Amino acid sequence: MMHEEGTIIDLRQSEGGADLVDLGGKVHQLPCSIKYDGPSSVSHYFKPKPTGIEVEGLELQEAYFRGRKLQGTAIPIPQGYSGFVLGKKNLVKRKASDMSEGNSNCWEVNAKFRDVTYWNHDILPSHDDAFLRSFHWLSVAKVLHKPVTAEDLSSASITLQKMG
Amino acid sequence: MGSEDPLPKWASKPCIMGIDEAGRGPVLGPMVYGCLYCARSYQKTLSSLNFADSKTLKEEKREELFENLKSDESIGWAVDVIDPKELSAKMLKKNKINLNEISHDSAIGLVRRVLNMGVLLTEVYVDTVGDAEKYRIKLSERFPAIKFVVAKKADSLFPVVSGASIVAKVTRDRALREWVLDETADNMHRNFGSGYPGDPGTKAWLEHHKHLVFGFPSLVRFSWGTCAPYFKDIVEVLWESDKTDEDGSSSGNGKRQLKLSNVGFTTSKRKSEEIESSGKGRCKFFQARKLEQLTYF
Repeated sequence: MMHEEGTIIDLRQSEGGADLVDLGGKVHQLPCSIKYDGPSSVSHYFKPKPTGIEVEGLELQEAYFRGRKLQGTAIPIPQGYSGFVLGKKNLVKRKASDMSEGNSNCWEVNAKFRDVTYWNHDILPSHDDAFLRSFHWLSVAKVLHKPVTAEDLSSASITLQKMG
Repeated sequence: MGSEDPLPKWASKPCIMGIDEAGRGPVLGPMVYGCLYCARSYQKTLSSLNFADSKTLKEEKREELFENLKSDESIGWAVDVIDPKELSAKMLKKNKINLNEISHDSAIGLVRRVLNMGVLLTEVYVDTVGDAEKYRIKLSERFPAIKFVVAKKADSLFPVVSGASIVAKVTRDRALREWVLDETADNMHRNFGSGYPGDPGTKAWLEHHKHLVFGFPSLVRFSWGTCAPYFKDIVEVLWESDKTDEDGSSSGNGKRQLKLSNVGFTTSKRKSEEIESSGKGRCKFFQARKLEQLTYF
C-alpha cells in the first residue's frame, strides 16, 4: 500500500562481536514513558523481586519505580523468534555518495535476549494484557504467509461445496 | 513486633489500650503505629510512670522509658511499621489511598491483632487522624464491644496513649537508624536527619540522593509534596495509568499528596499515543493488541 524510502533494513552483526551480550532477565517493558535515552544505573535502583505467587500460570514479580508499585512477569520470546537490541550503525566514515536509500537504514545487532519482563501498574499481569495478546499476531502471520499447497486448495474447495 | 507470649493473666480482665503514631509527617522512612495496653486496674500505676508525650522527651529518656515498659510485666505493646515504599505505592495508586486511610487501617490492624491474642479490650484511646468523631464511628462499627475515645492530642491527655507514642517513636527512630537502603549505588549515605522536610540534614540528604531517572531511593515517600521541587529538573515520566485522569478534575486527595500535573508528570496536552502504541486506524485485531505499523524508526 505505502511505498516509502527507508523501509529496507540492513541488519549486521556488530563488528568483532561473535559472542553477543545476552540480556536475559534485563529487558523490561514499563507501563510508562521515560523521557530519557541513555545509560542509567538501572540494576542499582530497579530491583525486581519474585513474589512466589502465580497468576494464570504467570510467575509474579514486584518492583518499584518512582514510588509506584509494579507487578510484572517474565515472558519468553516465542519459539522461532529472538529479541535483539539494535543500534544505528555509525556512518560517519562512509562517503556521502554511499548514503543511498538502501544504506541509510543500516543497523547493528548489539545484544540479544530470550525473554522480556513486562510490568503493570496497579493491575496484575494477565493473558488479557495487550502485550501478551500482541504475540497472537505471530501465529496469525504464520498462517497468513504460509504458501498455499494444491492439497490446501482442494480441501478448501471440498469444504466450500459441502457448505453450499 | 510486640510483647511475647504467653498471654499474661491480667489480659483476661478488662483492659485499656492507647494507640499513637510516629513518622506521619517526614518525607522519608517508615510510618509507625504503636499501641500499649494494660489491665484497667493498672491505670493508676501507669499514670505514675511519667510517660509524657514522646515529642516532649529527649531521645535518651524515650529509649529508657521504652526499655522500662518492655520489662514491665503488667504492660503489653505492639507496633505496625509501614514501609515508605508501601506509603508511596498506596498514595500513587490509580485509586489513591490517602494517608488518613492508611493510618486508620493500621490502627484497626493493631486493635484486631491485640484482640486475636486474647486480650480483653474494653476501652481504646486513640490520637485522632482527620475528623475525630468520624474516626470514632469507623472504629466503633468494626469493634462494637469496645468503647473508643478518639481525641486530638490524646498523647498528652491519656497516659496509655503517651506510652503508645513512646513505643511508636522509639521504634520509628530505631528503624531509621538501622535502615538498609534497597538501592546499591555508590556514594549513598545514611545521614537522613530526622526525615522532617524542614530538617537541614534531611534536605541535604535528598539533594544528594536525587537521581535523574529513578527520582530517589525507595526510602523516600514519593507522594509527598516536599519532593516536588526536587523533581523539577529530573527526567519526565508519563504513566499509562494516568492518561484517563488527564481531562477529569483531580480527585480530593490529602493536601500532602502531590498533584502530579503540577510537577510535569502529566500535562493535558499529552496524547496517549505518546505513551504507548495504539494501532489506531488499523483493523480491530491490531487495535485490540495495540499493534502499530512502524515504517520509520
